[in-house]
Amino acid sequence: MSHKKELIKFQIDGLTVEAEKGQMLLPAALEYGFEIPHLCYHEAVSPYGACRLCLVEVTKRGRTMMTTSCNYPVDAGLDVATNTENVQRARQMILELLLARAPHSEKIRAMARDAGVEETRFRVIEDADDCILCGLCERVCREVVGANALTFVNRGDRREVAPPFGDPIACIACGACVYVCPTDCIKMKEEGDERTIVRWKRTLKMQPCQSCGKPFAPVFQLNWIIERAQLPKDFYALCPVCRKTKKG
Amino acid sequence: MDKNLDRLNIYASRLLSEKEYFVPGHRACQGCAEALAVRLVAKALGRNTVVASATGCMEIVSSPLPLTSWNVPWMHVAFENAAAVASGIEAGLKVLMRKKRIPQQKITVMAMAGDGGTSDIGLQALSGAMERGHDFVYCCFDNEAYMNTGIQRSSATPFGASTTTSPAGSLVAGQTSWKKNMPEIAAAHNIPYVATACTSYPFDLMEKVKKAAAIKGPAYVHILSVCPTGWRLPTQMAILAGRLAVETGMFPLYEVERGRYTLNVELTELRPIEEYLKIQGRFRHLTQEMIAQIQQRVREEYEKLKKKVQLTNED
Repeated sequence: MSHKKELIKFQIDGLTVEAEKGQMLLPAALEYGFEIPHLCYHEAVSPYGACRLCLVEVTKRGRTMMTTSCNYPVDAGLDVATNTENVQRARQMILELLLARAPHSEKIRAMARDAGVEETRFRVIEDADDCILCGLCERVCREVVGANALTFVNRGDRREVAPPFGDPIACIACGACVYVCPTDCIKMKEEGDERTIVRWKRTLKMQPCQSCGKPFAPVFQLNWIIERAQLPKDFYALCPVCRKTKKG
Repeated sequence: MDKNLDRLNIYASRLLSEKEYFVPGHRACQGCAEALAVRLVAKALGRNTVVASATGCMEIVSSPLPLTSWNVPWMHVAFENAAAVASGIEAGLKVLMRKKRIPQQKITVMAMAGDGGTSDIGLQALSGAMERGHDFVYCCFDNEAYMNTGIQRSSATPFGASTTTSPAGSLVAGQTSWKKNMPEIAAAHNIPYVATACTSYPFDLMEKVKKAAAIKGPAYVHILSVCPTGWRLPTQMAILAGRLAVETGMFPLYEVERGRYTLNVELTELRPIEEYLKIQGRFRHLTQEMIAQIQQRVREEYEKLKKKVQLTNED
C-alpha cells in the first residue's frame, strides 16, 4: 500500500507547482527545471546554506524577503521569484567573493561567466587552496559515510575544515569527500600500495588481493567495514574480480 | 578534473542522484548491462536532455506502445540517422532560443545507438554530424552484435565469436574479422572528446558522460554493454564480464580530450585473456592457438594505446 504524502501548492516564477510537505525549496524548483545555481547543496545530505548562491526572493503573506532556497521549507501560497534583479545582483556579488577566494576552481569560474561576472573587484588570493568552507565534505563524512573524520575548526577568518586536533585518525580514505567537493580542492592519489587523501594528510596501506596480488582498498577501511557490518574476518581477502571468478 | 574516479572503490554510490530518467518496467532481458548503461547515462545527463534513439534493443524494450520508460523527451528514429536527427534537434533548439520562443538554457542533446547502429548502419550520419561540429553527445551501447533481431554479427563483433550469422562449425570458427575500432574512428574526426566506458565501472562511466555533455562540440562515448543473452553468459556474470574485459586489456578504458590520450584504468599487468573468454559460450569453440592469437593481438593493441598515451602527453 502506497502512502501518498501531503502535497502543497505554491508559485515559482508565476508557475503553479506542487511539492511534498517538508521538502526544501531548492530541490522542488530543480525538479520543475528552474535553474538555480548552488554549490553546497547535495540531495544526499542535510542542507546547510553556506554558499549563499541559491538565493531567491520569497513572498509570504505580502512580505518579500531574500533567502537561501536550499534550507527554506515549502509552504502553501508562497510566491517565489528565482531570477529578479535583486537576486541577480546578490548572486553576482557572492560570485565575485567566491572568485577571490577560490580563483582556480573551474566550476566557480563557469558559474561566474554564466551570471555575467567577468572579474572580481576584491583582492584575489593567488595561493588559495580553493576551499570555500561549504562543509559538504564534513556533512558527507558524518551523514553518509559515518566515519566522522572531519570537522570545522577555529572561527572567523581562520575557520577551516580539518580532522579533529589535526590528526586524521578516523579517516578511512574512502574518497567520498573527494567525489563531492564542488571546487575539487580535495585530492586523492594512489602510488604503489598506498592511498593518500592529500588534503587531510592521510596515507593508508592498501590490501593486496590474495589471488592476483593487486592492491584494491585500504586495509584500515576494510577492517572498519568488517567491524561495522559484523562480517567474517577474511571477507575481503580477494579483490572484487577474483572474488567472483575464484568462488565459482 | 582530477578526481581519480577510475579507482572505483570509493563510497560514492550513496551520493548519486536518486532521480531516474530511465525507469524500471522495461522489457530488457535479465542481467542486461545495456539497460543499466542507459540508466546510468540518463542519470548522468539529468533532466534537461533530449534523446534521439536509433532502432535497437534499447528502443524495443523501452517503448512498447503505449508505454515508455523514458522520463525525458525521447525520439525513436530510423536505424541509420540517430546522429543526423540529433544534429537537427540541436540546430532547432538553437534557433528557438535565438528567437526567444524558449528561454536560454543548457539542453543536452544525446544520440544513442547500438554497435550496429553506430559502426555499420549509422556510421555515415555519425561521421557527418561529427564533422559539422554539432554540440551533442553520441553514446554507442556496444553489445557486440545485432542482439534484438537474434544475435547477428556486426562489425563490432570480436574475432572468434560465434553468432547466428557467423556460426562456429568445422570449417569456420565464428567471426573471422577483428572488431572495428570505433572510438579511434571517432577520435580521427578530431572532435573534442572521445571516451570508452563500461557499466562495470559506473562512476567512471557517469563522470565521462557528464564531461561529454559539458564540452562544447561533438562528444563520443563508447560503452561496452555486456549482453548475457547474446554472449551466452550466466545473467549474474554480466558485471564480472565487463570488469574482465577491462582487466584483460580486451576493452581498455581511455579518453581522448582534444587529441590527448588518458588511460583511466592503467594495468601494469594484463590478466590472461582466457579468463574473459572461458566464461562466455560464444567463445566456447576456440582452440588454444586461436586464444593465443587473440592474446597476442590484445597485447599489441594495448601497447599501441600506451604509446599513444605517452606520445600525446609529452611536453
